Amino acid sequence: MGPREPLVKTAPHADLAALRASETARMLAACTQCGACFDACPMIPYAPDAKGADPAQTVRGVLDVLTGGEGDAAARGWIAACTRSGSCNDACPEAVDPMFMLRLAKYRANETGMLPKRDAMEAMSRVKVFARLLFSEDEQRDWL
Amino acid sequence: MTKSVFWYGCNMTRHSEIIRLSERMLAAVGVEAAPVGGPSACCGSTKESTPPIAEAMGDRTMKAFNASGAPRVITWCPSCHMNLDDFMGQTNDQNFDSQHLCEALYERRAALAPLLTRTVKARFLVDRHVGFNGRVPVNEIIPELLSMIPGVSFADHAYRAPSYMCFALAPIPGALADVQRATLAAMKETGADTLITIFHSCHREMIGLERDHGIRVVNWVHLLAEGMGLPYEDEYKAWRNAEDPLAAIGPARVAAAGEAAVRKLVVPELTRPRQV
Repeated sequence: MGPREPLVKTAPHADLAALRASETARMLAACTQCGACFDACPMIPYAPDAKGADPAQTVRGVLDVLTGGEGDAAARGWIAACTRSGSCNDACPEAVDPMFMLRLAKYRANETGMLPKRDAMEAMSRVKVFARLLFSEDEQRDWL
Repeated sequence: MTKSVFWYGCNMTRHSEIIRLSERMLAAVGVEAAPVGGPSACCGSTKESTPPIAEAMGDRTMKAFNASGAPRVITWCPSCHMNLDDFMGQTNDQNFDSQHLCEALYERRAALAPLLTRTVKARFLVDRHVGFNGRVPVNEIIPELLSMIPGVSFADHAYRAPSYMCFALAPIPGALADVQRATLAAMKETGADTLITIFHSCHREMIGLERDHGIRVVNWVHLLAEGMGLPYEDEYKAWRNAEDPLAAIGPARVAAAGEAAVRKLVVPELTRPRQV
């Protein structure tokens, strides 16, 4: 239960683009498209386009989205419904980290327009109003 | 020695009492940690749909943490915690270690136990999700910590909600309602009278159940505070369950925070439809 990181850690990647490129290459190499991750996902019942889809085909669609393609409706539906349950990671026999794969695929889908971006325009404004309501002046100065 | 950082995240501005209580609890077990959060200490999560912006926000926060000299960052939010591990710490040098709040308290539970002197009558079920437990075993640590409080009993149940916290479920049609129904069923099955939330977004979503379902909903930090005799007031819950949230907040505070902003950004959240 102690600290999990060394006190000083050098960044493994230069930036986010490098991290994404490295992880995408690793996932493409490691994934056997067995579909175990899809089968394990508790969110499939809430993804109408993915419900009943072929697991292996859907994973292939996710990998396509991950690399800038359109994928298929099932893949996009699954990516959109991912809530980071992580059940896929426990099921994956190749340690691909499917949860992270879906997350990076969502990044790509947002960039290519395959999935709509989350509307977070007012998120920080809301955070600030709640701070004005619930923090003292000293807390606003010291904590924000 | 430089204090550690208690990184409460951004959406925790709704729950200032949890920040205060966490700081006091950490100090009580020998950990001096300064609360830091809000938009200037963001992990980038809110802007994730635009990765370069999220990256810039996370980078800025990492630079600030590194420059602070803090030996440790104690996290609250699972999004922040995962982004630190998965992105921020992967693309920035890191001059501190990190730990979740429940780990910090659990690590010092020998010091915490004698502080839990007040009897609390509660048979509690914990709102446990599957998603974050692989990073930090919150689903085991938190029931164990709470079970140290005199008078409580833990209503264990096999049900685990999907996702890593309720926030992610809310926009997916039917998902949060199903979780709330299953949680209420688990409480009934186990005879629980108190629902414990682990994360702030779960607290935000679950407190609405208190009004209509005859249960009590508190965060795990709240229950620990009760066991320690630390006073607190969960104003967000009071506002959420009030007939008239603006009146519950009070005109003076509404005016001080900016009435237009409160009406536009706060009231719709407090009056949003309940799922079950």
